[in-house]
Amino acid sequence: MDRIAPWLQTNWDHRAAGNFIGGGTGSGLAIFAAASELAGGNPPRAAYVLAALFIVAGLSLVWLEIGRPWRFLHVFFNPQTSWMTREALIAPPLLIALAAAAWHGGAALAAVAALLALAFVYCQARMLRGSMGIPAWREPLIVPLALATGLAEGAGVLLALAIVAGAAPSRFVLILALLSLVARWIAWAAYCRHLARRGAPTATRQALQAIDLQVLVLGTIAPIALIAAALGFADYAGPIALAAGVLGLAAGWLIKDTILTRAAFNQGFAVPHLARLGAVGSDSSTRPGWS
Amino acid sequence: MTGAAATAKQVATYCYQCVAGPDLLTVRVEDGVALAVEPNFCAAAVHPGAGRVCVKAYGLVQKTYNPHRVLSPMKRTNAKKGRDEEPGFVPISWDEAFDLIAEKLNGIRASGLLDASGYPKVAASFGGGGTPQSYMGTFPAYLAAWGPVDMGFGSGQGVKCYHSEHLYGELWHRAFTVSPDTPSCRYIISLGSNTEASGGVVGVKRHADARIRGLKRVQVEPHLSVTGACSAEWVPIRPKTDAAFLYAVIHVLLHETPRASLDLAFLKGRTASPYLVGAHGYYLRDPASAKPLVWDRVLDRPVPYDTAGAEPALEGSFTAPAIERGADGERLGDGALAGTTAFSRLVAHMSSYTPEWAAEICDVPAATMRRVANEFIAQACVGQTVEIDGMVLPFRPVAITLGKTVNNGWGGYECCWARTVAVSLVGALEVPGGTLGTTVRLNRPMSDRIGSVTPGVDGFMAYPFNPTDREHWSPRPNIRNAYRTLVPLAANGPWSQALGPTHLAWMFLDGTPEGLPAVTFPEIWFVYRTNPAISFWDTAALAEKMSRFPFIVAFAYTRDETNHMADILLPECTDLEGLQLIRIGGTKYVEQFWDEEGFALRQPVVAARGETRDFTDIATELAQRTGLLESYNSAINRGAAGLPLKTERYDFSIDVAKPHSRDEIWDAACRAASAEVTDGAASDGLDWYRTHGFRTRPFTRTDWYLYPALARQGLRFELPYQERLYRVGQELGRRLHERGMTWWDSQLSEYQALPAWKDFPGLWEKAVVAMGARAQDFPFWLVTARSMQYAWGANVGIELIHEVAANVAGHGGVVINGDTAAGLGIAEGDLVEIRTPRRATRGRAVLRQGIRPDTLLMVGQFDHWATPYARDFDVPSMNALVPLSLELTDATGSGADLVRVGLARVGARR
Amino acid sequence: MTRWAMVADLRRCVGCQTCTAACKHANGTPPGVQWRRVLDMETGHYPDVRRAFVPVGCMHCDAPPCRDVCPSTATRKRADGIVTIDYDLCIGCSYCAVACPYQARHKTDRASFAYGGGPSPAEAARFDEGRLAVATKCTFCVDRIDAGLEKGLTPGIDPEATPACVTSCIAGALHFGDVEDPASNVSRLLAENRHFRMHEELGTGPGFYYLWD
Repeated sequence: MDRIAPWLQTNWDHRAAGNFIGGGTGSGLAIFAAASELAGGNPPRAAYVLAALFIVAGLSLVWLEIGRPWRFLHVFFNPQTSWMTREALIAPPLLIALAAAAWHGGAALAAVAALLALAFVYCQARMLRGSMGIPAWREPLIVPLALATGLAEGAGVLLALAIVAGAAPSRFVLILALLSLVARWIAWAAYCRHLARRGAPTATRQALQAIDLQVLVLGTIAPIALIAAALGFADYAGPIALAAGVLGLAAGWLIKDTILTRAAFNQGFAVPHLARLGAVGSDSSTRPGWS
Repeated sequence: MTGAAATAKQVATYCYQCVAGPDLLTVRVEDGVALAVEPNFCAAAVHPGAGRVCVKAYGLVQKTYNPHRVLSPMKRTNAKKGRDEEPGFVPISWDEAFDLIAEKLNGIRASGLLDASGYPKVAASFGGGGTPQSYMGTFPAYLAAWGPVDMGFGSGQGVKCYHSEHLYGELWHRAFTVSPDTPSCRYIISLGSNTEASGGVVGVKRHADARIRGLKRVQVEPHLSVTGACSAEWVPIRPKTDAAFLYAVIHVLLHETPRASLDLAFLKGRTASPYLVGAHGYYLRDPASAKPLVWDRVLDRPVPYDTAGAEPALEGSFTAPAIERGADGERLGDGALAGTTAFSRLVAHMSSYTPEWAAEICDVPAATMRRVANEFIAQACVGQTVEIDGMVLPFRPVAITLGKTVNNGWGGYECCWARTVAVSLVGALEVPGGTLGTTVRLNRPMSDRIGSVTPGVDGFMAYPFNPTDREHWSPRPNIRNAYRTLVPLAANGPWSQALGPTHLAWMFLDGTPEGLPAVTFPEIWFVYRTNPAISFWDTAALAEKMSRFPFIVAFAYTRDETNHMADILLPECTDLEGLQLIRIGGTKYVEQFWDEEGFALRQPVVAARGETRDFTDIATELAQRTGLLESYNSAINRGAAGLPLKTERYDFSIDVAKPHSRDEIWDAACRAASAEVTDGAASDGLDWYRTHGFRTRPFTRTDWYLYPALARQGLRFELPYQERLYRVGQELGRRLHERGMTWWDSQLSEYQALPAWKDFPGLWEKAVVAMGARAQDFPFWLVTARSMQYAWGANVGIELIHEVAANVAGHGGVVINGDTAAGLGIAEGDLVEIRTPRRATRGRAVLRQGIRPDTLLMVGQFDHWATPYARDFDVPSMNALVPLSLELTDATGSGADLVRVGLARVGARR
Repeated sequence: MTRWAMVADLRRCVGCQTCTAACKHANGTPPGVQWRRVLDMETGHYPDVRRAFVPVGCMHCDAPPCRDVCPSTATRKRADGIVTIDYDLCIGCSYCAVACPYQARHKTDRASFAYGGGPSPAEAARFDEGRLAVATKCTFCVDRIDAGLEKGLTPGIDPEATPACVTSCIAGALHFGDVEDPASNVSRLLAENRHFRMHEELGTGPGFYYLWD
């Protein structure tokens, strides 16, 4: 057992990543659908259903991961400080609001659902930020990143949904999607830069670096170009938007899965002052796995 | 835990799994189940390790409940033996087991105890540096009752011990092993001495205290060991060049420092430095008394060394009316003979061994050696005194310690000599703060180191050399390793068999050299707490030889590689199940220096599992079945169970005519112990010790030091000049040559009065060439290092130990310098092959920076193929690679634990 | 007020893992779970290399991130600074494990025994189903402390009331006591020696100090 330099945490696996993926995408979808509706659009009602399904799927995955699933009600015991409790508290009204929005329709219900979804994805972001043991998660800029990518993922799904529903996405949705992709890239780049500046395990930085080009090219430039094309070529807007949406969505999931699993190296150990044993020379320190 | 236990108790016992013990502990027992080991806090006031035990003792609970234990007697059903032969052990009753063994033993008694070669037909091997004796109950009494037993088939002795230190240490300062006077020492030069891994609870505690106090230790070794980690400085030295390092230190002391900075009074009065040495290398002696002469500055003439009021000259050459006697009493000179003081001889001898000279050999900067030497002398406090228990003694807080492989095998003599000379130059030998011996195993009495100081020849302490004169030297060894014939220093006491050249017994089985009676296989071999098929060298060959032993009785804890060849397995009560009383306290290796002495009990903490039996009951049953009951009981009465049951002051002796239960025997021993500790005031028996665990009385700290005993008797340390060893070597050579025995000639070259540096590393390179290979193809030194977690305890099959040992680097494979590995394309965890011209082994690469680029390290001893649990480790051992070799055997009969190897990557990380 | 804290003297520690083993005995932790362990760290480049042994485990922080994230309130901090886990409340979500920057939390989902198969008598006696699938960690041997205090003993001084790792340490490297009491053993050590706390920059306020000079 050479667990001294930061090693990959194994407490939360792909199931946990699935919660952040499902929760983020679902929330983003709900928010975009509501935004579209509030802007006078007519998003498919299925968007709310799908958003709820994403969120429920994510929560189900977490439920499968916890050690004592039948004690799940205990998750509600600490709203004072735990963002996990807060996430759990928001989930039921969010799901109800989504169901109501899907059932009844209407801007007011959509707005409620969107606000709850925003709160939900914010809770998830803060959950990560509260994970002090994982430098890639505790980075404060994970919050805007989680929000931005949630929105981008939701936009991606909404774009895809449009063609499923047999309608081309509105310009409004296309522009919002484009903006969310731009925002995500800014958040991603800032997150990576900030993390590097504040310090992170070498392996964490390598894991993030490994997907940087994919996030930029396939997850940002390509879908933006496609959305621009969709804006310019209305006849083909549906299929083009679908491609853009899938790329935007996939990049978001890649980012989250990477941050939640492959970049999730823990803090490791550090000794700022090695013991003085009568040795001559200066004070020395060690922090394996950080550079 | 579920619910409160119906019965809960804390049971006191001892742990003596390693030579650094014994230490005291308690075990928490609930409802008859041992749950947890804890220190014995009641012993904190008397035990120098504060009543604590090391990690090994925490394995004892799992050791007791290990599902792989042998829990009933077993017999082999497959007559064929070998690594690839499944023994087919089947359970048998104790009665049947005893019948089978007694039949063999009684057959031997009927036909004679010695075979045609004169060797004992019964052999026995015990491991662990004498520690099995603390677990084998009264079995020593059985062996004593039996008669001649060959205990010279080694399981690591000689090649894996402090062999040269044992022998030369006992000669020079009653130091079976050597320790700093850590509680007051200020500066230690440690050449590979891995105290933090091998010094036990007490050693670790003492050094930790000393570090806080400001002790500086310079650790000189090829890899950064656990001890190096806890030292002020690590000096990476090329393996087997330690003698050159020490010679350079002595050079600085003699040639680069003012003479007055040395302890001249000590040298003149307590060493043989002023003795005059003649032209032929022997002391000049007084024609009338034959005593060595010194030059008296007062009278300006030679006088015998013990002349009252003489002021001996430390340096100079003088002409004196004298005689010079050589080997076999030959008169080499008579009349006015020129002589030079031993000290002047030393000065001249060391003149060329400069730090610059040593730097080339050791790969250590000359400046480092010079600085270390100067720090050493600066810290020596020459001229200062300290009062200990009302006695004023010199205070010299500097020490030099040597580790395994430094202090055994070729170069071991030179290192031991140089160490002892270096500390004696500043008077730091056997005085407070300095370099001390711990105990005696060759001199007697073993339980009284200070009492072993008696006058011998020429003003030195007596030493029980095996005779080398024509009349008494014997070409017929009493046992197969021929220690009495070949190693005069090994003496002829109870420990001598195991301190002889134990690998020779194994080697000679397939070819006895000229002049010795043909070495035979013993008809019965008893094995206990030892696994030479893993712990010795060339383990494959050794296992093959074992497979040819006709009848092996193994006291077995679990199956292992040695008892794989056994005919009978006998399951004995292990550590927490058996009963025994042992001595504790006084002074003892590795660093056990107590302010108390007395006895401690090992008692059944839990009921014996399965059909396991207490060793004492086994011994008594064997005695009965072989008609030795009376002599067995007599041996117990004489003290074979650890202390005599009858002395002038008390009598708790047992009736020799009838068998006694385990508890009866140890009750008598406990009563005797109580009487001894209280000077007859108490006679509490077993029940008292069961409750209290131990009993001690004060032990004066002045008895930590030999100096007062020598001073009282007007004796000198036999330093620096080794006239007696030189003579012994000359005589031994003549005896051997008279018998046509020339195969020991290179060993004879070790007997030098002032040992010169030889190319010791080159010997191992020559060994590669001798095997028909090219030295450059085997460019690495493979060394080993102590694993505190595993060493000695027969605990390789214990999961807890395996788990926690994994936290210490190196346990998972072969340690390689990171840059070296990179150059060979080896990454962390890669599978590598390590090979000699004859053998190869494989293991995982563990990359570290704290190791020389030319050195590889394999921690501990693994490579198990039969021991349950351990056989799944997949960790290599150097023992598979190191050859048994006469060429690499030194004059004391020991070999050094290292080998030249090649290294290559053969596979990727798992 | 009392604030229990651990002090590890890095000058003394030899990395022997006696504390690791003693902890496993005292707390009956399953194979592979080490509430206390000692790191074997190496730094530098040959030949300028240092090797250091560093005991680690739960730091019983002043502001324990594990407590703050715990959704079930299973993790709490007592007034005396000891961070505890209520195994009956814990849902085993492992959020505390990723929140702890000292890698001090463990979760074992299934019963495991030293030699596979079933438990030994000792393991059977120690087995606690309630510890499965929940977070576990060093408790500072809180049961010993509380029982000792009830008997009027002083934790850190009286072995019976002191964490098992401390009482087992053969190098005298581990110390335990009340850092709020200026006369305590640990307060004296901290006053007389230079020390640090690990990952101090994270603001957790560890109750675990390292002496280094």
